[in-house]
Order: sequence, then structure tokens, then C-alpha cells
Amino acid sequence: MEVQKEAQRIMTLSVWKMYHSRMQRGGLRLHRSLQLSLVMRSARELYLSAKVEALDLETPSTPTRCPDPRLHPPREAEVPAACVPPDGEPLSPEPMDTQEDEEEASPRAAETLARCSAHPARVGRKRRSSSLSNGVDAGLVPSKKARLEEKEEAEDASSEVPDRLLPPPAQAEGAFPNLARVLQRSFSGLLNRGPTAPPTAPPARDAKPVCRPADPVLSVLVRAVVAF
Amino acid sequence: MAGAGGGGCPAGSNDFQWCFSQVKGAVDEDVAEADIISTVEFNYSGDLLATGDKGGRVVIFQREQESKSRPHSRGEYNVYSTFQSHEPEFDYLKSLEIEEKINKIRWLPQQNAAHFLLSTNDKTIKLWKISERDKRAEGYNLKDEDGRLRDPFRITALRVPILKPMDLMVEASPRRIFANAHTYHINSISVNSDHETYLSADDLRINLWHLEITDRSFNIVDIKPANMEELTEVITAAEFHPHQCNVFVYSSSKGTIRLCDMRSSALCDRHSKFFEEPEDPSSRSFFSEIISSISDVKFSHSGRYMMTRDYLSVKVWDLNMESRPVETHQVHEYLRSKLCSLYENDCIFDKFECCWNGSDSAIMTGSYNNFFRMFDRNTRRDVTLEASRENSKPRASLKPRKVCTGGKRKKDEISVDSLDFNKKILHTAWHPMENIIAVAATNNLYIFQDKIN
Repeated sequence: MEVQKEAQRIMTLSVWKMYHSRMQRGGLRLHRSLQLSLVMRSARELYLSAKVEALDLETPSTPTRCPDPRLHPPREAEVPAACVPPDGEPLSPEPMDTQEDEEEASPRAAETLARCSAHPARVGRKRRSSSLSNGVDAGLVPSKKARLEEKEEAEDASSEVPDRLLPPPAQAEGAFPNLARVLQRSFSGLLNRGPTAPPTAPPARDAKPVCRPADPVLSVLVRAVVAF
Repeated sequence: MAGAGGGGCPAGSNDFQWCFSQVKGAVDEDVAEADIISTVEFNYSGDLLATGDKGGRVVIFQREQESKSRPHSRGEYNVYSTFQSHEPEFDYLKSLEIEEKINKIRWLPQQNAAHFLLSTNDKTIKLWKISERDKRAEGYNLKDEDGRLRDPFRITALRVPILKPMDLMVEASPRRIFANAHTYHINSISVNSDHETYLSADDLRINLWHLEITDRSFNIVDIKPANMEELTEVITAAEFHPHQCNVFVYSSSKGTIRLCDMRSSALCDRHSKFFEEPEDPSSRSFFSEIISSISDVKFSHSGRYMMTRDYLSVKVWDLNMESRPVETHQVHEYLRSKLCSLYENDCIFDKFECCWNGSDSAIMTGSYNNFFRMFDRNTRRDVTLEASRENSKPRASLKPRKVCTGGKRKKDEISVDSLDFNKKILHTAWHPMENIIAVAATNNLYIFQDKIN
């Protein structure tokens, strides 16, 4: 749990740093962005592996639909192991169902991310102001994070940078608990399927630079928000 | 130990008696950002010392000739020339401000009475000529001494202008401007041993220039992937070999160094040698990747070795051995357990430089709390010294400092938690022949000399 908290804190911090780095004089620094994204990736891996370990100990939860992760009450994924034995029987059919659901959910999650983010994305692109903050759809929550790193890794995203406004950091921080949940749902499905999970068909992709060496999990998330 | 480097007994860094010589810069606690020194470089003879700052200015100090009245005191460095090298610019296409901060200064070998140096900011390199003028012509026929034209009808006689001595004036003029060749931020420049060409490196590309030609440069390294999503490393530093004009090296953010030979192909994307130390799995941590990034690479004067600086250590490599460095020196290993805090306060991204002494027997690099470290390669001894105003009495010896890593703190030791991480020494320079060092501590330049005479 501590590990998860620490990893989450570092992820939050990294996002803040990425946001802040575009404010400095001289524009986005490629090396700095690369380093921040490396830390982000390590933190995420740490977080996910800790999550997976925790998941191994308890019942997997039913994945909710992506569009409104915030509407669903934050579900405590960590069911105490002690609870499992008494509920053993009724739960046994469930894990199988949810696993299938999860597997289906992950590619669907990515697509729904794309769908639900498409509209606010278009709105966001036209409205070059912080109105993105009130236009925030639930779908923007996870995609915003991926977009953040994606942009920070842009080669001279300097030109694109002023066009895309980030919501204030406070929002980014507030979004994290939900982001973590979405990540967990999306990735744990992929993790269950194994490392060779093929990514979903990418929507029209412009040359959005992301420094991830062919990481299918992350490129799924990134491609989903490429509509920006 | 004094005099030409390498002569006499191999002196250890502990056999040096470093003494305070001078400090340049404001004393105020409030440091103006523009005054922060961003690069320090001695010229080939060591008589000139150039500094660049965040405000785009270059200040050159010249060593005074030793006076006959005090034959035992070393020459002091005094201001020789100050000029504004770069101004802030705005890239309208990208809506980006281009910082005027001087990233690097490199001197050209002296070929005539004037001095030449290259200075660069993030995007533009400039060749500056620094020349002295100590005579001026007087007695013109058509104009007065103050330059006003004389009335032709008043001129009744003809005279020949004569040269009269004047107060020494040092002029700096930009002779070449090498612009628009870098998409990313320039991190290094290096003058070739042929004295005709130089290289400039940014995050993804290295360009080769001819000093006379400003509208063209050759791209010799390009590591930009076709798909930027596959980017995993950037170029962090590059340098030409001191003697072989076809050889250069560049370091990466992954802790590797590539040596390239320009004779092998026009585009040196394929290295001739690849230097990488296998990672020690026991020391792997969350921040391993970013602390392995090399912030500086310097060839030894002999050209046989090169030195790299990463966040926690300095490594010396033999050019003939690619598998691992021949020496590794820990600069501030006690910070390894503090990496998370250093990430929070951004110190983990600090780019420290390193330098060799003239004889390649010692190396020096900076640390925090205005500490800097020296390693003697022969005796294997190292010392930690501090650049501070408290130790600024003329010719006062510097006392070695020690950082207490845990347990009982001895007297005169400083604990890791008491270190001031805002006081960082990123830039240091060693005189090419004598034991004189210049240490940049934020906005102050300290000069220390070996107490020999």
C-alpha cells in the first residue's frame, strides 16, 4: 500500500513537473521531458505491479464503463483477504466473468476513451482557453494524463504547446485516484492476456511524439487521445 | 609542482595546498538570475579566463603579468573585457522565447594578436574577436579630434596623421554568426584540432561547421527516430578528439558514449566505438535511469582517455577499452538514498561538468553546498573543498571538508541533511598548465591557486 501511495505521489509530481516545465523560458526541453517520462513510467510500473499483487489477494472488481469513472463511487479494490474465504463460493463464478469482462473491457475502454474524449477534444482544440477545465468530461480525465505526457515528450511541441491548455494541476491531481482505477482496469486486463496483447486499431494518428519504446499498453492509451 | 604541467614528481591532489586567490561577483544574498554563471573556460595559454552567464554576457579575465616587485606572488586575474554576447530572442513560428543564457564558451587557439572564442546559447553560435587597441591616429586633415568635419576653407596646411598611444581599449566584435542550424537546444560546441572546423550538438543532432562559413553546416550525427514515439535517448555532450581531427565522441542520456570517425562515412550515425558499463543490478533503483545520464564528457589532454560525469560519479575511460571505465570516482554517493527528495526539488536534473588538470593526473568536479571534489589518479586520493566567502582571506589555505553520512557527526563534519542544495558548483575549469582553478558558485567566480612559492 505504501508502495502504491509513493508511486502515485511520484506520478502526480511528475505530471506537475511536466506541466510546469512548459512554462519556463526557452520552451520544452527534450531531455528533461524524456527524464520525466522515464520516472513516470517507472512509477506507473511500480504502481501497477503493486496493484497486481494486491489484486492477487482479493476478488477482482467489476469494471465500470469508462465514460463516467468519476460518477461511480471510488471502489476500494483491496478487499481484505480475510473476507474471501467466507464468500468463497458465490465469488467463484464471478472472477471468471469479470476476467472475461476485463479482457473485453480493455480494448473497449480504449475505444470509449477515444469516443468520449473525441468531442471534448474537438471542443478543446477550438477553444484555446482554460475552458477546458469546465469542459472536462469524465473521459478527459484519463486521456488528459496521457496527453500530458505525450505532449511533454513532443520534439518541439513548443509549437503545439500554446494551443493545448492543460487544466490546472489541482485538477490533474484530483483526477488521479480515478485515473489509477482506469489504469488498473485497462492494464490488468492486458496483463492477464500477456505481454503480446495487440493494441487496438489506432485512430488517425498525427505525428505525436511519445518516448515509449513500443510499449503497447501505453501506446493504446496514447492513441486513444490522439484526436487532440 | 609549479610550472609546466607534468614536470617533476607526480603531485597528488592532497599534496596540493589549494589557497584562496580571488573571488569575483556580487556579495549580495539576493542573486540576480542573470548573474548566474553558466560556463567557465580557460584559453589555451591560461592567460585568459572567460565566463558566460544566464544574462547572455561574457566576461573575460586576464592574468596580470607577475610584477618584479613581488616575484613570489602569482598573477591575479582582472577583468579584461565584458560584452553582451547573446540577447533574448523570440521564435515567432513556435511562440517560444530563446534564452540568452550562454551554454558554452570555447576558445580558438591564438593565431595572431587578437583572441577568438565561440559562445553559444540554445540556438545560435557566435564567433567573437577580442582585440586590443592601444594606439590611435591623430592629426587628420579633414576632421577634428572629436570627429567633426573641418570646414574645407579653413584648411591651410597639410599634415600626416601620427599614431599616438592611448589607454588600452579591448574591443569585442562578433565576426561570425552561425544560426538556424539547430531545432533542439544546443548543449555542446567543440573546436577541432584542425583549427578550421568545429562541431555543435543539440539533443538529437550534431553539426559540423567551418569557422569561415556561416550559411552552411554538415549534419554528422542524427539520432532522431523516424517515429518520435520511439525516442529513448538524447545526446547530452560532444567533443572532438584533441589530436585526431577525424574523431569525436558524444554521450547520451542513457549513460553511453559513442566514438565516431568522420572518415568512415559522411553521416556518423554508426559509431566506431561504443562505451557502456553494464549496470550493477544491486544498485538499481527507481531513479537509476535518470542518474545514469551523462552530463559532461571531456577528453584528457593526451587524447588517450576520456572522462564522463553522471549524477553521482565521474568515470575515466580508456579509449581502447569499451566494456567498462578504468576508473570510477564517487562524487557524492551519500545522495543515493536521497534521490527521491532530489527529484522533488529538481536537483536530480543538475548537469555537473568535470575537468582534467594539465598533466591529466587529477580530475575535478563540483557538488552541492559549494563543495567541489578533486581526485588524484595516481595516489587514488580525493579531497572535498569548499568555495565560500568565509574562506576568502588572501592566500588562505582551503581546509578539506567532510560530509557525515550517518551515525555520529564528528567535529567539522557536515551532515547530509544540512547541505545547501541551492549552492551547487556545476562549472569548474583548470588552468591548462599550472595549478590554478576557477570554480563558479552561482554568481561568484572563485580562483584558487596552489601555494607553491
